[in-house]
Amino acid sequence: MRLLRHFLLFGFLLTLAGTAVVGLGLYDISATDQHLRPTYRLLRTAMERSVERRAKDIAAPHLDAPAQIERGFVLFREHCVQCHGAPGVAPEPFAMALRPLATPLARSGRERSPQFIYWVVKHGIKMTGMPAWEFRFAEADLWSVVAFVKHLPSLSPSQYGRLTGATFEREEERREPDAKRGKRALEQYACVTCHEIPGIIGPEARLGPTLHGIGGRGTIGGVLENTPENMAAWIRSPRAYSANTAMPAMGVSARDARDMAAFLASQR
Amino acid sequence: MRLALIGLALLLAACGKDPPAVEGDPENGRLLLRQFGCGDCHDIPGVATAKGRAGPPLAGVAGRVYLGGVVPNTPESMAEFIRNPRRLEPRTRMPDLGVTHAHARDMVAYLYTLR
Repeated sequence: MRLLRHFLLFGFLLTLAGTAVVGLGLYDISATDQHLRPTYRLLRTAMERSVERRAKDIAAPHLDAPAQIERGFVLFREHCVQCHGAPGVAPEPFAMALRPLATPLARSGRERSPQFIYWVVKHGIKMTGMPAWEFRFAEADLWSVVAFVKHLPSLSPSQYGRLTGATFEREEERREPDAKRGKRALEQYACVTCHEIPGIIGPEARLGPTLHGIGGRGTIGGVLENTPENMAAWIRSPRAYSANTAMPAMGVSARDARDMAAFLASQR
Repeated sequence: MRLALIGLALLLAACGKDPPAVEGDPENGRLLLRQFGCGDCHDIPGVATAKGRAGPPLAGVAGRVYLGGVVPNTPESMAEFIRNPRRLEPRTRMPDLGVTHAHARDMVAYLYTLR
């Protein structure tokens, strides 16, 4: 009887304390101060159990078709990498300030079942930055993303870097390079900001060398033999060849890079 | 009216501003660039035999923001790049030609006249 009274008193005090913390705004909800470790663990465990419970009866389709993985990669690049990053790719600066931080998906691909990943992509997670994609992606695309996330842990950072466009755009690569289109691509990717380029008008700020006569030049960036293939590779990821170069990767697709290279090769 | 003219004159003066003072003897630098065979790879205005196309043309090199794409262009960094290109870009195809400090300074003095 006495024990019960103590128990009730304890419960009452706990409720009172909880009400005070919430009602008086004592809990720090800012994203500049993380939860206490026990709170963080509690929330994480609650999330995991909740997803596991809801995902366990979902039937997963086959997820190993290359076309499906490639489709997943394109969606991943458009919609996931900004917050989650990728092998060798940091999240956008804003995403570094998210609390909770987004999980690197190479880890999720290793540890989580396809059903688990599918459920989280589809439904999102409350009070985190993870949105629900159910009304954004078609059903098949949800599974494409899962297929790519499951594939992700098998990719090294450099393999991921080469994947950016290259694999998915195999079809594009069978096209003949189009120099005229390449000139327009050079214009559209803002190359003239730093280079003088025949027939393109812009700041020509000379951060890089002139591209007049580039087709007859022997080297690219001082480091690569000047061939159209090397030029396309250089344009897409200059730092793979010259670690300290000022030239940024502009997110150029494989097709656009090949067309640019064709135009540049014609500049004698 | 007079004020406007003075303003215009000042503006023109600002546009045609002189290159930064570079130590060294530009004329000697021009000869050295020729002797060291820089023109085998670079097109260098004013150096008769320098019509190479392995590297970028050096016309206007004084106004270029980076050297070799990797280092901000100053007379000091240009001399360093000439003397020891691989220290600044380990994979560069530009060779180390054993240029002395004094020679590099004169080469830079000439290259900095190419605006």
